[in-house]
Amino acid sequence: MVVCFQADRMVRLTWPLFQTLRGLFAVYKPPGVHWKRLRDTVETKLLKELNSLEQRVPRQQIRFLPSFTEGENGVETSLTVAQLPVLADHPRVLGVGNGNQQLVCLHNRHLTKEYTVQGSFGTATEDFSDTGRLIERTTYDHITLERLERIIAVIQGIHQRALLTYSGIDLKSQEAYELASRGLLRPMHKSPPIITAIRCVHLSPPKFTLAIQCLHETQQYLRKMVHEIGLELKSSAVCTHVRRTRDGIFTVEDALVRTRWDLQSIQAAIQDSRSKVNATLGEDSSGYSAILGEDMPTGVKGQERRSRRSGPRPVGD
Amino acid sequence: MAALMSFSRWRSLGMALTGRSLRSCGSAGWQCLQARGLRQANDREPISRYMGKGRRRSRLFVWGFAQTGALGLPQLSLPRAGRERPRQSQLKPRQLELDERISSAACGYGFTLLASQTCDITKVWGMGLNKDSQIGFHRSRRDRTKGYEFVLEPSPVPLPLEKPQETRVVQVSCGRAHSLLLTDNEGVFSMGNNAYGQCGRRIVDSEIYRLYVGRITVSSEQRRARFIPVDGELMAKQVNVPKHLPFTGVGKIMQVACGGTHAAILNREGNVFVWGYGILGKGCNLSESKVPEMILPTLFGWSEFTPQVQVNRIRCGLNNFAAITNCGELFVWGKNLRGCLGIGRMDDQYFPWRVAIAADVVDVACGVDHMVALTRSFI
Repeated sequence: MVVCFQADRMVRLTWPLFQTLRGLFAVYKPPGVHWKRLRDTVETKLLKELNSLEQRVPRQQIRFLPSFTEGENGVETSLTVAQLPVLADHPRVLGVGNGNQQLVCLHNRHLTKEYTVQGSFGTATEDFSDTGRLIERTTYDHITLERLERIIAVIQGIHQRALLTYSGIDLKSQEAYELASRGLLRPMHKSPPIITAIRCVHLSPPKFTLAIQCLHETQQYLRKMVHEIGLELKSSAVCTHVRRTRDGIFTVEDALVRTRWDLQSIQAAIQDSRSKVNATLGEDSSGYSAILGEDMPTGVKGQERRSRRSGPRPVGD
Repeated sequence: MAALMSFSRWRSLGMALTGRSLRSCGSAGWQCLQARGLRQANDREPISRYMGKGRRRSRLFVWGFAQTGALGLPQLSLPRAGRERPRQSQLKPRQLELDERISSAACGYGFTLLASQTCDITKVWGMGLNKDSQIGFHRSRRDRTKGYEFVLEPSPVPLPLEKPQETRVVQVSCGRAHSLLLTDNEGVFSMGNNAYGQCGRRIVDSEIYRLYVGRITVSSEQRRARFIPVDGELMAKQVNVPKHLPFTGVGKIMQVACGGTHAAILNREGNVFVWGYGILGKGCNLSESKVPEMILPTLFGWSEFTPQVQVNRIRCGLNNFAAITNCGELFVWGKNLRGCLGIGRMDDQYFPWRVAIAADVVDVACGVDHMVALTRSFI
């Protein structure tokens, strides 16, 4: 799970600390936990640690405030000197939220994800997983690696065709030929789930493991794919495990496990991934570029938005 | 029963409940019991067997212009109340059910010939346009003196064989309005239009071609195609004088195919080279080429993860190309005349495109506006 940091709760950040927390990092989600619960947990832990840090004393500033005094000729205005704290340093004021932008940019890149899917031949269930209601039991002793690989090659071929069809480019143009001959023709907008690569990692009937690289997929689609592989092999199959091993540029090695959900590890993870994220999005580390695909307005409006978000925005109470 | 289940008991029953969030732990205990009960019930379910001996069956797929009956699917040409509506072209491959295993197929202009290597009386089937008797004589039921002009279903072609139960048909080949059959014992048979002597017999002015199926004796050179690979190099046959085509950089040539205004060759590494005029398969900008141009292997499914993929058969129709890879995939490109490419649409295809067939393609026959694919089932 890729997490970006957005703190709109009570937190106090200094500018250098804020800089180290601007970015993306990956977190390992244990099975059976809802992703929202995990995100809230990470956020709460991080905020607790940040609040326990030494708080800077708010700076004082000299302000000339207008005041009204009763004089002979009615109400007179004059200026009085007062010493006030700088509201920008107030604990409840600061809000940051620029990491979401990077996440949106990354999403618009439509990068592939890799999964390890484990299945089991011999049963067919209602929701294609091993915990659903049983529909049928079948034999599976005829399934060999050669037959499974043949079916998998066919699936890959069908999806290669879908890659070209959903790319959104006119297939009669020279551009389509140039991209297809280099293998770069891919959908850059919303499309049905497409499998870009699939191979069998392990087969010992009834259990088998597949490594699937796909775009725009859902878990239900992967389970259904396992079911359909079973049908093509004149048997049936259910999906027992689905594990994401890569999400765009973040792999399992980059993901932080539960014991490392603390400030230092998160800062280190953001630092490590910064170069990869920047290289993918084609931007420099100090600001955000306008590469958000065709949906983002470029030009004057885009530049205005960027200049406004260059620093922490003071927010009133 | 759910209320009696305590939280600790649920935890000890195990983590088999994948996919359920911690919030629903109250009902998880009951679901766990249900799962255990289901597993016991599942073991009592009967086991079905769908797999037989595992012999891979041959299948025939057809697509293209359907109105002449060349596809052998009468439901596409004749209106039948309550059934599917007739249509002009079959844009996607459709299976043609036949009892015999077809070993050789050929497509002409509006007709198809299918041959099997059986020793039965019926060895060859023909369907489609039959105005010049290019698929044999099929006597009409209404008028016994005439034959059908359009044959809508695969019909047996009667052959004047001396020993019909010992002879096998090895290959069939079709031209615009004539066809040739090669047998193993009894030579070559020809049928159809003979206006230019293409059937190998004497030209007769204003002959009625509908009634003749004859045997011809031809020498082996005349039987071959126009371009002949000789020792890996190319000889072009122009007016009976073979001419050597000095191509460099194409490697050892293994197969060659020619169409109306173009030609293609396949070398030992599995690379396809095309030249000529028309849609050659390298984008819309390349419409003619005097020298062979290679089509990149990535367009046939080659990639770093699948380096073993290569083309091993190439065929040409009048305005289109077809290539079969060693993985059993069929790629087509060229002019999509009346849906002959089988890609599901009527647009022309400027670079190789996979045809979706639910079987491994072994061979393909290209005609002017239709195609026939000989395939084997997956398992």
